[in-house]
Amino acid sequence: MSLLWLKVAVLLYGVASLAVLPAALYDRPKWRHVAIPATVAGVLFHFVSLAEMLNAAHHRLPVETHEVQSLLALLLAASFVAVYARYKTVALGIFVLPIAFLLSVLAAFRPGQEQLLPLRSGWIFLHIALLLAAYAALFVSLIASLLYLIQERRLKSKQPSLTWLPPLETTDQIALKSLLFGLPCMTGGLLIGSLVAQQTVGASYFLDPKILLAFAMWLAYCGMIFIRRHSGLRGRRAVYLSSFVFLVVLTVWAANQFSSVHRFSAP
Amino acid sequence: MKNLKPELVVSNAAEKLSERTLVLLGINHTTAPIEVRERLSVPAGRLADATRSLLQQPGIREGIILSTCNRIELLTSQEMVADAVDLPRFLEEYFAVPSASLAPHLYEYREREAVRHLFRVASSLDSMVVGEPQILGQVKESYSIAREVGAVSSTLEGLLQRAFTVAKKVRSETEIGSSSVSIASVAVDLARKIFGSLQGKTVLLVGAGKMSSLAARHLIQQGASNIVVTNRTQARAEALAAEFLGTSAATSVLAFEQIYEQADRADIVITSTGSGRKLFERSHGQQFLDRRRHRPMFFIDIAVPRDVDPRMNEVEGCFVYDIDDLQQVAQANLADRGREAEAAESIVTQEVERYQQRLQSLEAVPAILALQQNAEAIREAELAKAAKRLGALTPEQQAAVDALTRSLTAKLLHPQLTALRRAAAPKGDE
Repeated sequence: MSLLWLKVAVLLYGVASLAVLPAALYDRPKWRHVAIPATVAGVLFHFVSLAEMLNAAHHRLPVETHEVQSLLALLLAASFVAVYARYKTVALGIFVLPIAFLLSVLAAFRPGQEQLLPLRSGWIFLHIALLLAAYAALFVSLIASLLYLIQERRLKSKQPSLTWLPPLETTDQIALKSLLFGLPCMTGGLLIGSLVAQQTVGASYFLDPKILLAFAMWLAYCGMIFIRRHSGLRGRRAVYLSSFVFLVVLTVWAANQFSSVHRFSAP
Repeated sequence: MKNLKPELVVSNAAEKLSERTLVLLGINHTTAPIEVRERLSVPAGRLADATRSLLQQPGIREGIILSTCNRIELLTSQEMVADAVDLPRFLEEYFAVPSASLAPHLYEYREREAVRHLFRVASSLDSMVVGEPQILGQVKESYSIAREVGAVSSTLEGLLQRAFTVAKKVRSETEIGSSSVSIASVAVDLARKIFGSLQGKTVLLVGAGKMSSLAARHLIQQGASNIVVTNRTQARAEALAAEFLGTSAATSVLAFEQIYEQADRADIVITSTGSGRKLFERSHGQQFLDRRRHRPMFFIDIAVPRDVDPRMNEVEGCFVYDIDDLQQVAQANLADRGREAEAAESIVTQEVERYQQRLQSLEAVPAILALQQNAEAIREAELAKAAKRLGALTPEQQAAVDALTRSLTAKLLHPQLTALRRAAAPKGDE
């Protein structure tokens, strides 16, 4: 049943991804009235699907790459709704919604072999969810920084402004606040992961390249927030910085391949 | 009236109306870039002097100079025979600008086209932002100065008064004057694209121009909460600051010497001093941004010559818009105003026609007057002769003879007068 709800959610994300284009690019309010409810409904169905899946697993967590991607999709779609609720801009949806759709469509139509984790996997789930929330926040921040850059370039070059682009201060706020939201998520996710690892593997876990990279990522994330807040970094350099940290995150994600202890197949 | 010789009246009228020609020469924002326009700008204080110089040119009978940020135009009534009138040379000499750099940007209109252009300018159809209300005030200011120096009489007086009426008609009968097409609202739109809400934003006014004051009012309406005014003359800054006292914004005056120390407090800086030298260089922009931790700053430079070095726009976080840039942005808005502008253009076309008709009928007036005076002279002469033969008449009889002769002359003249009026009326209007 959970798969059915997920498919409905994917469909709704698809509708929202298409509707957001005329809503944002052509400033058509009626399409906004399609995109926002579709996303909200998609998030709800997705959440129900996830809850049912967790319930059906009876404290045994299905962790397979596709499911993790699907959870990231849910967080991205939810972040879009949150940004809309706070700043009334749908511009972010042009980038965020199609990615949420693509990430969830794999889980809905090509479910992989589920790897069941033992009882304490509640903590593992929290570890994954928090880190994914931090990734989603970073992604939203990167998109907002890009939108800032586009708007800034247009204003500088004195070209007629694109109506769908939010004001600079709004995109700057979205970029910074999503980072500020992401930091506690990342910190919590890493701490939980470390505690679980400490109990299961012991101190040697912390010499794993994936884990070292994960802490480097946390430092980079902290550094980025510090620089943005204290030097007021905006525009081009902010995009470079966000892109750099985003690359670090992707590296950490990909480092599963090189890790001996941090694998889905690992206990 | 008895003493006037009809031939003399006719010849005077002919000299007045037929031997003069209306010529308008100028440059504006569509023909010349700001670099050229700023070299031809006449400050308000020197306009009377410039108008006197224009009037001293041989062949010029009347003249007005309109100098704004976007245009300089010489409207003259010249003697028809005066081929020697060389308005481009006057501009070259007065502003010490070489002919080669000026000639490509000049336009010249004569007679009907000059009337049409003036009506369009006064109605703000030729403005950088169509429908902006300042231009009419600027035309009135130029007219008033020209009157003071005695540069306006019959021709331009009538024409200017008509232009003011046309401008008023355009404004009242179309939506062209709505605030969304004014320079001030363009500036506000841009500020909103940078800052989003203007709530809590600080606006620094450098110089006390009317347009900057208008822009500041628009910004206050949109939520700007602090207005800081500065001017080289402290009293003028205080006077301008006093104008904002009734608004929702907190107003203060900044000493001009502190401008570089304090400007970074402002989110939006509107400059309109036109002092002729750059008040803000690129390096100032960098300093302000560093002190603001790179929070954006918006410079609206509506001065000509410019107050802000355009290279400041290269500083990340600084957005510098001069008067030409505002025009560029306004072009986008203009598309939406096309319909209103079309309606306004048709009003102008009608009014040009009406003005020309009036001119033509005025040209017929001397001939009509001469005919009437001639007939009246003959009637009076014949009455005087008849009086001797008729002897003493009672007042009633005298009145009856008077009425009879008047009626006769009126009826005899009627076909000629009608023919003259028809000839004066434009074709198709008979």
